Amino acid sequence: MANLVKLVEHGITMARAGDRDDLSRRLEQTRSRLMDPSVRVIVVGEFKQGKSQLINALVNAPVCPVDDDIATSVPTVVRHGSPASAAVLVAGSPGGETELKRVPIAMDELAAHVSEKGNPGNKRGFISAEVCLPRKILSGGLSLIDSPGVGGFNSVHSLTTLTALPTADAMLLVSDASQEYTEPEMRFLRQAMRVSPNVACVLTKTDLYPQWRRVLDLDREHLSEGRQELIPLFPVSSELRLHAARLEDQELNDESGFPQLIKHLRQEIVGNSERNQEKSVRQDLLSVIEQLRLSLKAELAALENPNGTPQLIADLELAKEKSGESRKRSARWQVVLNDGMSDLISDMEHDLRDRLRKIQREAEQAIDEGDPGKSWEQFTEWLEERCAEAIADTFVWTNERAQWLAAKVAEYFDQDEMALPALRVDETDDVMDPVEPMPVLDPGHVKPTQKILIGMRGSYGGLLMFGLLTGVLGMALINPISIGAGLLLGGKAYKEDMQGRLQRRQAEAKNLVRRQIDDVIFQVGKQLKDRLRLIQRSTRDHFTDVAEEHHRSLAESVTAAQKAATTFSSTRELRIKAIRTELERVNVLHRHASALTAPQMVTAKP
Amino acid sequence: MKPVTSAAAELLRETTELYAGDHTALSMLEAYSCRLQEPLRVAVAGMAKAGKSTLLNAIIGEEIAATDAGECTKVVTWYRHGHVPKLTLHPVEGQPRELPIRRREGHLVLTLDGHRPEEVKHLVVDWPSPALKNLTLIDTPGLASLAESVSARSENSMAPDDAPSDADAIIYLMRHLHSSDVKFLEALQDPKRRFSGAVSSLVVLSRVDEIGAGRIESLVSAGRIADRYRQDKKLRRLSLGIIPVAGLLAQTARTLRQSEYVALAELAKVDRSARERTLLSTDIFLASKNPSTVNEEMRTCLVNRFGIFGIRLAVVLIQSGSNDATTLAQELARRSGLDELLDLLQGQFQARAAELKIRSVIMGVDQLLKDRPRPGAERVSPMLERLLSASHEPRELRLLMRLRSGAATLPREFAPEAEQLLGGSGTSVSKRLGLPEEAYQSEIEEAALAAVKRWRTLSEHPLSDRAVIDVCRTIVRTCEGIIEDLQSTADQR
Ligand SMILES: Nc1nc2c(ncn2[C@@H]2O[C@H](COP(=O)(O)OP(=O)(O)O)[C@@H](O)[C@H]2O)c(=O)[nH]1
Ligand SMILES: Nc1nc2c(ncn2[C@@H]2O[C@H](COP(=O)(O)OP(=O)(O)O)[C@@H](O)[C@H]2O)c(=O)[nH]1
Ligand SMILES: [Mg+2]
Ligand SMILES: [Mg+2]
Repeated sequence: MANLVKLVEHGITMARAGDRDDLSRRLEQTRSRLMDPSVRVIVVGEFKQGKSQLINALVNAPVCPVDDDIATSVPTVVRHGSPASAAVLVAGSPGGETELKRVPIAMDELAAHVSEKGNPGNKRGFISAEVCLPRKILSGGLSLIDSPGVGGFNSVHSLTTLTALPTADAMLLVSDASQEYTEPEMRFLRQAMRVSPNVACVLTKTDLYPQWRRVLDLDREHLSEGRQELIPLFPVSSELRLHAARLEDQELNDESGFPQLIKHLRQEIVGNSERNQEKSVRQDLLSVIEQLRLSLKAELAALENPNGTPQLIADLELAKEKSGESRKRSARWQVVLNDGMSDLISDMEHDLRDRLRKIQREAEQAIDEGDPGKSWEQFTEWLEERCAEAIADTFVWTNERAQWLAAKVAEYFDQDEMALPALRVDETDDVMDPVEPMPVLDPGHVKPTQKILIGMRGSYGGLLMFGLLTGVLGMALINPISIGAGLLLGGKAYKEDMQGRLQRRQAEAKNLVRRQIDDVIFQVGKQLKDRLRLIQRSTRDHFTDVAEEHHRSLAESVTAAQKAATTFSSTRELRIKAIRTELERVNVLHRHASALTAPQMVTAKP
Repeated sequence: MKPVTSAAAELLRETTELYAGDHTALSMLEAYSCRLQEPLRVAVAGMAKAGKSTLLNAIIGEEIAATDAGECTKVVTWYRHGHVPKLTLHPVEGQPRELPIRRREGHLVLTLDGHRPEEVKHLVVDWPSPALKNLTLIDTPGLASLAESVSARSENSMAPDDAPSDADAIIYLMRHLHSSDVKFLEALQDPKRRFSGAVSSLVVLSRVDEIGAGRIESLVSAGRIADRYRQDKKLRRLSLGIIPVAGLLAQTARTLRQSEYVALAELAKVDRSARERTLLSTDIFLASKNPSTVNEEMRTCLVNRFGIFGIRLAVVLIQSGSNDATTLAQELARRSGLDELLDLLQGQFQARAAELKIRSVIMGVDQLLKDRPRPGAERVSPMLERLLSASHEPRELRLLMRLRSGAATLPREFAPEAEQLLGGSGTSVSKRLGLPEEAYQSEIEEAALAAVKRWRTLSEHPLSDRAVIDVCRTIVRTCEGIIEDLQSTADQR
């Protein structure tokens, strides 16, 4: 790791020396990602399955409140930090995504902030809580996110959790050994897999249930139904692990099942992310080096072979023009991206409206059939659930299509954007190789969509997306019972006939429903649109940056070649020597970076 | 026979005459007639693995229904009293047929004789158990189970869309309050139905021994959680009561064997910290050799029949003086919550059994008249209406539910008394009047008269709304019933 940072820093120095602030900036970003890696693993499941206790057992500290009754009310991030500290995140402006305040709290006050007891239903409106602990298991950048849950995997809760998934690198689905997976759990899992590909499952409380192995088998069966890829499932007992820590009993720790889970977290989840990180660093470095080398080589070629210079300049000019095209809004990839996103947004809006209007019609029918005053509370809940269900569906497929679109854009970009031209320079070194092969052919390559996703996670600003979408569902409906009661107690009203009152209540209720649905369509539509725009922006910025860099590299190469043509012969030899020295330095870095090929994947599935 | 019961029989006679020649209708009516004579039918419902079959066994006092960590109750199964054990399969189409009885490890093996579960309406088990003499229990497959058709079958038998329910009352089990539980309980109260507040339910917070990670204070936590649910407005209006029950413990208590007692007593002799070490997990307990007098077979039996918590509790009980199997069984049953459940069953369901059954019959006849209109129905309809208004208990229950839900309007300060009078905290006269059981007859009479007067005044108040007046009248009727009862017992003396 330290090694990587050094290489990147080396690259930064070179880029600065070459007057390429754009490239040095890119590597600086790479460096800060390296210095502060973050692998977010979100722990989800029905309530009381032992999610909080699982995290506590993983880090061997009672950080997440656990209770026999419902405990967690605020999502809590547990990550590395020394000394141990805790904080809550508060939204600066109500509903504002950007303005966040981090308020430090004492460690022992955490429970009062994030538990149902201290902060029922998260009335105090914290976005999330953060705990930093000096634990080895967290040192690779692993953050564990404890998710709150009330009411089980009902539609509203599922939606809340689903929308948080794109901000996480992996998900652990927790279910206890008292019984096999239930229908709501499987339904959630199917949807979640479409949002987050990196899913593992944990079977908890194996100490308590004599039949846990049978449940394990049944769950494995459910997990493999209709799927090729294996979803790993780890049976564990948090109680045993905590006991083991207290008694310092290695055998007991083994028996708890945690070693396998931790191995998976380390090798598959953190390891995978590290490997990706490494690949991505290598790619960044190689690309920067290639670009630095280009102008050096161009100048060298022009110096050593003046006759070829006009042709060289012409070739470079052509390439430059081409990459210039790529930056324009009219470039094919840009058109695909912009049109694709506009289509997606209008499809999304249409789909959302369609689904919600259908619910509205159903609601109106129900109101017509009965007295809305009687079961209004039930009714509003039903409405909320139905809306959440519809939004979750829209959310899942929109997310899927947006990623598909980003991949397609990458494809077009690769096709259109010429690789940097191969400059043959009379050299003994391996620089004879043509420049970087087409990236897709390189097995160590990180797909551009992956990079975009990584970038996007960053741009959520470390914010958990819990509940942002569901916030709008919080019923703005006024209670018509109170309207009814008002009529009931008012003196003159009792003369009014029952029928008239009923009709008025029905009309009023329908009115409320319509307003509510309108509001949901508007608010949710806006939030989903914002998310899609975010993906669009990240995609565009990513490729534009690449195109810009290439363009600038080519422009610099042209300048360098032109400069060479005017270099006096007296200084020529000197210059050639200087460039060769410089090139050699770059080549060394190139060799180091090339050697960074990620170690062979360790596939250790239990 | 209560007068309402004979009125219901009368209604059935008239309706039977009306449908002369219509075999489908006649067989339905005959079934209703039988139903009046039969014991109350209580369904045990809840999500898959809520512990329904286990609790049912505990109530019956015998391990007959199969229980398992995987899903195993696939079709609705009735357990009713019979002098000889008998198993009958009622297919959706065709005649019921008897199946051979087989048992595996005590449990009945419920074969479907080649039928697919969806082809079976239900199974009926006749069993010579005293507990079934005045109670027919209906075991149901889980709701929200992975096999959705299994849940659908379950839902249909308790809250069918178009036919009256098979059950007169429901014990609803839940481990935690999930939104699907609320949905199901609500479905039973669907306001669209004419007889809203249809089936009365008792909610059981089940498998409570697991709540506190198997620690000895689990039952205390369970009590606390049940208390919280009792405050829950939604649940209050959906149920007649909420009780925490450790079903496995109850089942074991009712069927405790001497050999188990001996093994537990051995365990109780082991040094405390060594014992706790072996009880850290079921795997460790099974593999342990301490004490060596308890062999692996017995350990497996203990773990399965008591659970880790049950073993801990039994050991504590033995150490504090339960020094024979009978005493231990009694103590376990008491702590499991079973006794309290049986009391509530007695108080809320059995005490209203006649009325609950009649209500099922009324619903059935009403549906029949709607589904198969027949000239001459005008003769029956008024009887139906009269019976509906005469059978007071269902109305009490309905009002009780509505009061709890806030759907019935009553000035706030009157609500608690109203609930109490309607039998919300017990249906005995003294409970209704909020008096201690040992109250003097004269005190009781005085309180009853005062109550009737208070509620009459309220019902006649000029500013009272129509809806309030209706509520008051129902309560006045309840008070009058109490006074009638008091007088008739006084006359007898
Ligand atoms: N026996 C046992 N109990 C556990 C285990 N993990 C959690 N629990 C208990 O299960 C209950 C719920 O745990 P919690 O972590 O709060 O669940 P959450 O709602 O999913 O976060 C608590 O009473 C815990 O003590 C375990 O591994 N073994
Ligand atoms: N620890 C414990 N386990 C229980 C309890 N009730 C049921 N179980 C277990 O839970 C599983 C499912 O029980 P079962 O009665 O078949 O549930 P059903 O599906 O609702 O009928 C079985 O393995 C039972 O042993 C209980 O009160 N405590
Ligand atoms: Mg929790
Ligand atoms: Mg069962």
